[in-house]
Amino acid sequence: MKYLILLLLVWQVQAEMNVETIIEKANMASFYAGDDGRSDARMMIVDAQGNKQMRQFVIWRKDIEDGGDQSFLVSFSRPADVKGTVFLVHKKALADDDRWLYLPALDLEKRIAASDNRSSFVGSDFFYEDVSGRHPSADEHQLVGDDEAHYLLKSTPKDSHAVEFAYYTMEIDKTTFLPMLVSYYDTQNKKYREVEVLTVENIKGHPTVMQSKVSNFNTGGHTLMAFRNPQYDIGLTDADFSSRSLRNPPDK
Amino acid sequence: MSKAISNVALNKPKSVMFLILLVTMIVGIFIIRIEVDTDPENMLSPEQADRVFHNIVKNKFQLHDMMVVGVVNDAGVFNPQSLANMLTLANQVDDIDGVVSYDLMALSHVDNISQDESGVLNFQWLMKQAPKSQSDADWIAAQVTRLPLLQNTLVSDDHKAAAIYVPIVDKNESHRISLEIKEIIDTLKGEDQYHITGLPVAEDTFGYQMFVQMGISAPLAALMIMLLMFWYFRNWKFIAAPMIVAMSTCLIVMGVMIGMGYTVHIMSSMIPIFLMPIAVVDSIHIMSDFTENYQTGSDKRQVISEVMHDLFKPMLFTSITSAIGFLSLMLTPIPPVQVFGAFVGLGIFLAFILTIVFVPAYLIVLKPDSLSNLQHRSAESGAMKTFGAWALNNRLKLVLMFAVLLIFSAWGVSKIQINDNPVRWFKSDHPIRIADEVLNDHFAGTYDAYLVFKYENKEAEVAIEQAIREVQSSAVQTKVNEVLADNELAKSAQWQQLLTWAEEVAFIANDPEPYLSVMAIIEQALSDQRYFQKPTSLAYLVNLQKSLQESVLVGKSNGLPEVVKTVYRELKSGEDKDYQLPETSAGVAQTLLQYQSSHRPHDLWHFVTKDFSETVLWLQLTSGDNQDMTQVMQWVEDYVKNNPLPDYVTMKWAGKTYLNQVWQQEMVAGMLTSLLSAFVVVFVMMVLLFRSLVFGFLAMLPLSITITFIYGLIGWVGKDYDMPIAVLSALTLGLSVDFAIHFLQRARDLYKQHRDFGLTMKLMFEEPATAISRNAVVIALGFTPLLVAPLMPYVTVGFFLASIMAVSAVVTLLLLPATMMYFKKWVFK
Repeated sequence: MKYLILLLLVWQVQAEMNVETIIEKANMASFYAGDDGRSDARMMIVDAQGNKQMRQFVIWRKDIEDGGDQSFLVSFSRPADVKGTVFLVHKKALADDDRWLYLPALDLEKRIAASDNRSSFVGSDFFYEDVSGRHPSADEHQLVGDDEAHYLLKSTPKDSHAVEFAYYTMEIDKTTFLPMLVSYYDTQNKKYREVEVLTVENIKGHPTVMQSKVSNFNTGGHTLMAFRNPQYDIGLTDADFSSRSLRNPPDK
Repeated sequence: MSKAISNVALNKPKSVMFLILLVTMIVGIFIIRIEVDTDPENMLSPEQADRVFHNIVKNKFQLHDMMVVGVVNDAGVFNPQSLANMLTLANQVDDIDGVVSYDLMALSHVDNISQDESGVLNFQWLMKQAPKSQSDADWIAAQVTRLPLLQNTLVSDDHKAAAIYVPIVDKNESHRISLEIKEIIDTLKGEDQYHITGLPVAEDTFGYQMFVQMGISAPLAALMIMLLMFWYFRNWKFIAAPMIVAMSTCLIVMGVMIGMGYTVHIMSSMIPIFLMPIAVVDSIHIMSDFTENYQTGSDKRQVISEVMHDLFKPMLFTSITSAIGFLSLMLTPIPPVQVFGAFVGLGIFLAFILTIVFVPAYLIVLKPDSLSNLQHRSAESGAMKTFGAWALNNRLKLVLMFAVLLIFSAWGVSKIQINDNPVRWFKSDHPIRIADEVLNDHFAGTYDAYLVFKYENKEAEVAIEQAIREVQSSAVQTKVNEVLADNELAKSAQWQQLLTWAEEVAFIANDPEPYLSVMAIIEQALSDQRYFQKPTSLAYLVNLQKSLQESVLVGKSNGLPEVVKTVYRELKSGEDKDYQLPETSAGVAQTLLQYQSSHRPHDLWHFVTKDFSETVLWLQLTSGDNQDMTQVMQWVEDYVKNNPLPDYVTMKWAGKTYLNQVWQQEMVAGMLTSLLSAFVVVFVMMVLLFRSLVFGFLAMLPLSITITFIYGLIGWVGKDYDMPIAVLSALTLGLSVDFAIHFLQRARDLYKQHRDFGLTMKLMFEEPATAISRNAVVIALGFTPLLVAPLMPYVTVGFFLASIMAVSAVVTLLLLPATMMYFKKWVFK
């Protein structure tokens, strides 16, 4: 009897899952866990010949509105030559983001245009948009099916000139709502890029991506991103994301 | 031995002929497996050091083979229509299978880096969409002038031309890809003209033309020889014999070569054309002699037997000397030339064997009435007699004339310009030559050479590893031993691995101290090793580039400094005053981190390795001539002499234009070796054959004068000494010594008979001189079909071989009797 109720409940939940809900939950799970957070991150950029480059940084985040505006701060620690380089992003749900940059060796603060978020994130196979999140409203989403563990979605851009893909597909985990595999296709229906979640851990009730991988099938390169020591709700304030933080990132 | 061979041929003629036919068919069938090789890179062996390095560089810096599509509009390309065309073209080319789309360079496919009035830095696609108005088009033009890497590379300085660089995965696909590009071009409207060029296209087109030439020139040569022989002998059935020998020789040699897995290169594609005339030469001797001695009613078998006996030795020796001339090409370190020399050499022996076996067999089965209308020598010999008498009467004038000619020739030889350029292998009205000319007129150059700089400090590496090994921790030492034992990894990769490990362990260890010291050592080491991130190192490159630009030898040089300075300018004020290098290594690193935030971060790695220990300067040259490349190399060498490379830095050349220069140099040296050694071998053979030093000298005289004269002529006319010209020397030697052998051998035999110099010479200018002149005419005219070939090397070879044959026959017939007259005391004892 107990199981039956549970089963009914699950069935009911699934029936209610329309595509908007899935997308919203996926967006929340991926980018809005907790009110704020931080994590150490390390990227290994590997080219087709197996040459490696390493980037290490701390990333802080604070939500201004759940599912809406939020701020990011990225501070590099390795390689040693770029230590102290900082990116600050004020992500806007309804407008272009604001982005700033601080380069300590040049003692230079600079605003960067963010009209196009599909450029490389510091030479890796990740795009800026993969780090800070793509606006769900930029695409038309379609639920094309599901399997035992995933919802399968196909998303088509509203403005095809603004992006390099023709469409992308997502496999979204039915329990955590994390997109586990995102595949990008070109106009010839060729898959040329994918973003894959490799490991997920539960941190204070938040399913958290600990390792992910972006592969570029055109160049034959890939980038591995590993997170360490993720924390949520550590009490970051707006001041931690002000232009002052460019030179003095938070010590939390 | 000659008896035994001709007996077999005469006793079982049909079996012999059937066997030859069978072998020809079985071996000839391999020809269908033909694989054409048009890659000039193959002029060097795969193990050749410069070629190996070139390919390492190509792979390390991901420098793909490029096709260049040029768009030219004399009213300027920066108008909405032309730019829209280019956008359409680039986008569709991008989709062609086999194109490396992420490396495609076009206005629509590259990033612009700029900042707006408020100083906001912006990386954006330069031309994602076609400009709607003239002012939009002008804006793009203005942007390009601020991007040194693109200016004069992607768009010409005069704004009348733009280029699309199409990198391709496999250069053997370039013909198909260029056809697909042409299809796209055909759909475009407007006044723009399009040109497709680049070495891969040239190579592929060349391969196609080679087939054309083999299909046309070789049969034409056969036809020409057949007509000549008919003119001499007036009997189709009779002259079928040498034609069958020639065909069979060509088919077997090509079949064996292809069957053995050799690709057909420009040189080996000429093999049939070379073998064809050489293969009929022995037959002509046999047939001339046979015609002389055979009258209706005489015993055919007896005549053939005698003819074969008389001619066996001279034919064997001339075959050996000719073959030596070609085989000596194997001493040249150029694989296609070696293959050519080897197979023509073998082909000459094969032709000799086929001749002495097949021709007697054929003649014996021929019905007597087929031979009834054989032509006897006619008016020719009368002319020959006059010629001979004249030569003897004017011997002093002749010797003096040849002496003067020799001096002038030697002078001409000293004026020879050594130069080659594969694009020039096409005739000047070929679309590829036109495209080459137009694009190099507008742009900084479509010919690439790379200067590769490498920093390697072994002492420092040892010191660093020493320092790591001094860290007191068994865990560290175990790991260090493990990582450093992995020889597959580069030093920087080993260190990177240790660093990552130390960092992870330090995070969880109770006592992180040893790990932290390892990290400190390695971080310092890694940043020291990033040599070409240092402003001082880049400054060396900048100064060298400046010097190259001033030399005017180089259209343009591109390198890491341009990338750094452009981004730095936009990070700062955006004004020209900030177009410079940052002050510190970290400044460069942070500038480049920004560059990598563009749409094409991978572009950076065309200029520098990921550990920044190696960097490339890409030189664009407007000419692919070896001479021009040599000048650039000389300039750089002088520069480095006056401005020594920094410590621990080495510099090396790579790139196709450089490789062409390398094989050209190797060929010149190699040809000299093969010419000299063939000369010595042939001389020794002559001395042994004639058992006389004087005859040895006499035999070498005509060909020495011919070679000097021909090369003197090349020097005076100003024709570049290129691959086909270089190969000619050995050929001349092998072919023209034949005349001297026949002349001297026959003269000696006649003198033995008559013991009278005057009579000997008189008789010499009857049958023997006729045979020599006939052979000269057959070979010389046999090569003339090459004159109509679509490719320059064939034309050159055809022209010069024809003249060499003519000259050496004339020299033999004029100079030998004159010289012999002077030296008759020593000559005929």
